[in-house]
Amino acid sequence: MATTYVSENAILPGQVHTYFGGSEHNIFRAYRHEVAGLAESSEEERVGKLGDIFRSSGLKVAAQKYEYTAAGRNTTGKNVYAILQGPRADATEAVVLIAAWRNMDGVLNQSGVALVLTLARYFKRWSVWSKDIIFLIPSDSTAGPQAWVDAYHSGHDPETIESLPLKSGALQAAVAVDYPAGPWGHRFDKLHIIYDGINGQLPNLDLFNTAVSIASGQMGIGCTIQRMWNHRDTYSERLQTMLRGMLSAGLGHATGPHSSFIPYHVDAITLQTVGDGWHDEMSLGRTVESLFRSLNNLLEHLHQSFFLYLLMHANRFVSIGTYLPSAMLVAVSFTIASIALWVQSGQPTEKATVGVWHSDEADAKEQDVTVVEQDGMTALISTAELKVVERHMLLPIAFVSAAHFLGLLPLYVFTRASATPGNASQTLTTTFYAFATSTALLPALSAVALSRLFAPTSQQWALTACFSLLLLGLFLSALATLNFSLAILVGVLGSPLCLVPALITSTPSRTSVPSTSVAAGADTSSSHRTTSTGIGGSVANVTLYVLLLAASPPALLLAACHYWNANVGAVLAAAGTAWHVQGAWTGVVVCLVWWPAWFVAAVGVAAGGLGL
Amino acid sequence: MTFEPEGTHSNASMRNLHLLHGTLPHEVVCTENLTPFLKLLPCKGKAGISSLLDGHKLFDANWQTMAVDVKPVCPEDGTECILQIEQTVDMVLDIERSKRPRDNPMPRPIPTEDLVCDNSKPYHGGDSCFPLDRTSEMSWSLNKVFGRPLKGSCPLTTEDGRDSETVCINVPHEREVQERTAADLVKKEHEDGYLRCYKISPNLDFDLILPEQYLSSNLPLSHPSLHAFRSITGHGQERGGVRAILTNPSLTSPVRFVYLESLPWFMKPYLHTLRATISSSTAPLPDQYLEPQQAPNTADPIKQMYYRPAVDRHRGTHLELLLELPPASTLTLTYDFEKSLLRYTEYPPDANRGFDVAPAVIRLLSSSSSSSSSNGSSLLGASEYLRTTSLLLPLPTPDFSMPYNVIILTSTVMALAFGSIFNILVRRFVAADEAPGYGLVSLKGRIWALAQRLKARLRGKGAKDE
Repeated sequence: MATTYVSENAILPGQVHTYFGGSEHNIFRAYRHEVAGLAESSEEERVGKLGDIFRSSGLKVAAQKYEYTAAGRNTTGKNVYAILQGPRADATEAVVLIAAWRNMDGVLNQSGVALVLTLARYFKRWSVWSKDIIFLIPSDSTAGPQAWVDAYHSGHDPETIESLPLKSGALQAAVAVDYPAGPWGHRFDKLHIIYDGINGQLPNLDLFNTAVSIASGQMGIGCTIQRMWNHRDTYSERLQTMLRGMLSAGLGHATGPHSSFIPYHVDAITLQTVGDGWHDEMSLGRTVESLFRSLNNLLEHLHQSFFLYLLMHANRFVSIGTYLPSAMLVAVSFTIASIALWVQSGQPTEKATVGVWHSDEADAKEQDVTVVEQDGMTALISTAELKVVERHMLLPIAFVSAAHFLGLLPLYVFTRASATPGNASQTLTTTFYAFATSTALLPALSAVALSRLFAPTSQQWALTACFSLLLLGLFLSALATLNFSLAILVGVLGSPLCLVPALITSTPSRTSVPSTSVAAGADTSSSHRTTSTGIGGSVANVTLYVLLLAASPPALLLAACHYWNANVGAVLAAAGTAWHVQGAWTGVVVCLVWWPAWFVAAVGVAAGGLGL
Repeated sequence: MTFEPEGTHSNASMRNLHLLHGTLPHEVVCTENLTPFLKLLPCKGKAGISSLLDGHKLFDANWQTMAVDVKPVCPEDGTECILQIEQTVDMVLDIERSKRPRDNPMPRPIPTEDLVCDNSKPYHGGDSCFPLDRTSEMSWSLNKVFGRPLKGSCPLTTEDGRDSETVCINVPHEREVQERTAADLVKKEHEDGYLRCYKISPNLDFDLILPEQYLSSNLPLSHPSLHAFRSITGHGQERGGVRAILTNPSLTSPVRFVYLESLPWFMKPYLHTLRATISSSTAPLPDQYLEPQQAPNTADPIKQMYYRPAVDRHRGTHLELLLELPPASTLTLTYDFEKSLLRYTEYPPDANRGFDVAPAVIRLLSSSSSSSSSNGSSLLGASEYLRTTSLLLPLPTPDFSMPYNVIILTSTVMALAFGSIFNILVRRFVAADEAPGYGLVSLKGRIWALAQRLKARLRGKGAKDE
């Protein structure tokens, strides 16, 4: 953990005097009334009026229509934006100032939009801009900015999203303002800086640090992150902030209008006003002014500081070098378990008696021994030890691949269900329960089917678990470098899978275990040994199966929804929207990495429990 | 195709001419850029219209361009040919910003009482003010906009004729223009009175003052014959695309032009991805609304193409297209390119800024000149050129602190390893008691020897003294 610092020397945060104030406040109030007057009006009227205000400030204005169909809803809207061509700029670089018409909670962002309109008018008078400034007012906070930034990079679908008629140069940074105060204003206490992007990508730490240092250092506005309204910088609060940040990044959803910009390597943050205090819109305006002056100083794209970090406080962070090993260790645990299973599967099932050979016993025991000579020494080794065990790998590999391809099925079903028109929440809830039930039953059925068709040996079961864990470890270590939070989330939630094969195969073979000692659930036996362990082994395996069911992806999703008091359908609808609109791949990881691994483990347990 | 020699050239010299075309896509503006430009002038910016050129004002303009054209001119009467230099400065000024005094350039908010508010708004009151658009023409003068008056004409100007009118202003008829100079001046009106030209006397300050005024008519502006816009599409470190949108705003006449791209070698275009599509229903331009006319034109707009591929580190790509655009239509030209990885010494110090790609140059061919372009004689007049904005191309950039870290780390390891290995190799190890004259004994012996030497020297000195 270290205190944050600004790496890029060019930024010079808070070194300029800000002049936003005075009569600009009168104009701001008028614009806020104008915005309030547009609250009830139609999309066209609003875009026209906002465009007129931009145009009267001497800016070039354009609008863009977009339409997304996701989660049974048609999201349509119209972005309006204006370009201030910097007097010192050659139209190769641009920074974006965003105020979404409605913020993430669907509240009208009145003061935010009015502030952007006022700042556009004010910025036009400066001659210092060496980058173009784009003022963007999207209709909503997720789809609008996404449509705009997609179209800006020509990565959009021209059928549903209009191309941009007006463009500037390469985007360097984006700052969104969220200030939903009504026409009579509201004095705020703190700035809540939101920085998470899609798929857990983060903006350069320098941008965040600049915003914090300007707001708190120059303007005296306290900054807070991850909805920690009262952060006293204690250990538990820092931990909580970090965990919230990791959860948010792990879910990979959009947290504000800035989120859509980050996948395009445009560093972006949202400044949200929170609480009741004494800071007014002019303080926020001056913060934005100073921030834009700092960004204007940039000679290069933001690159000096960290792109991978965890924040625990507005002034404290953990760098990737410190935290990455944890996710790697979790991922490696699966790999180690898989290597252990591989080694185990190569050993003969019939264990030789280990110990010192006594001459008198040797005659009695008629054991098959081999004489091994090496380095002039001679040893007698049981032949069973030396026997090379051939691994039958076709069935395990085929089954593990089939399980991973089976993961495509829930992914397809959920994306289809979230794309169908109608009541998506209802459809998704039904689909989810069907999926949960099949997840509970399918391993048992597959176990029966596998046993009937192929009668796998215990070695093949072990190899199946081995390959599945190997893949899981591989996926997670690769994912840890892309989205650390998601990797560690899946890794920790999937950690029971690491223990499951050990629990199944750790039964000492050929020893008849008294059923009383099995109650702990640790002594379960695999497939064909169940007959010897009797009913106790089955009970243990069924217990294990139930425990494993509790750790399955749908069960954990249900538990999380119950804990946060959310509706499963709504959560899935949001996930569907994130997948269709923003391209968040959390669902892909769950369906194609976590679920198959769980499925393979559950089939193994079911096979043991059913005594096959 | 894009560049043709201008001026008079004999057929013999034409054969020996070469076209050299180079671009410097990015240049940081600096007031120093103006000095060598002004030095070329006969009056060196001390008199004439160039006396208005002040680096601070020029580079504070919203848009500015400087050009130097050189061409040989041979008079009709067969006398010796001369080289003619034409220097041009274009600037687009924001009058309000330019009028700000130089010692107080901060755009402070104007006092509340000076705000022009819309009183009709229901919320209009003491603290809210919806700003009204300015309806009148702003007042300005040369002195206020450029910070100094015109310092008279350059004495080298011709005495009479059109060339002697050194200052011209293009305003509507009704616009009031006041001239302020100590001497009398000659004023002439051209082009139906829109263009007013002045013949001013040398060494006397001259100023034009345009007071605030309400105008009923606007100046008829000539419409550009082509709108061009070029941008980079796609994202990521490996591939990208360029999209150029060219719009012919004219409702009646088609436009023929040559589109020249000169790309740096590290931007490798895929020519097979070059697409030119024409859509007739243009997006209405702000000032005129066009009806969608006909279905997309299927005719290939590319009439002729000249392509010279790039050679790594030697020359860039040269792509020239002769295009024809029907009236009221938009041509979208797209192609994909690949970004190549540079050697690490080839990156500039500010590598993360990206690399500038030179603007595309568009040469408009007038319909008459294009018909007779085969013989080339009618092309010797000045052509009309357009340039798009330059592009910023982000290339895959290594982390330059990494080699530095690696060098430091390996050097440290090398030094440590070399030190200890060398030490072990050259040192002879012996037991402590085997070594002669080491330890306390040797120290004692050395001190003893030192004392003896000192004694001997003292004795020697004593002997000399005697």
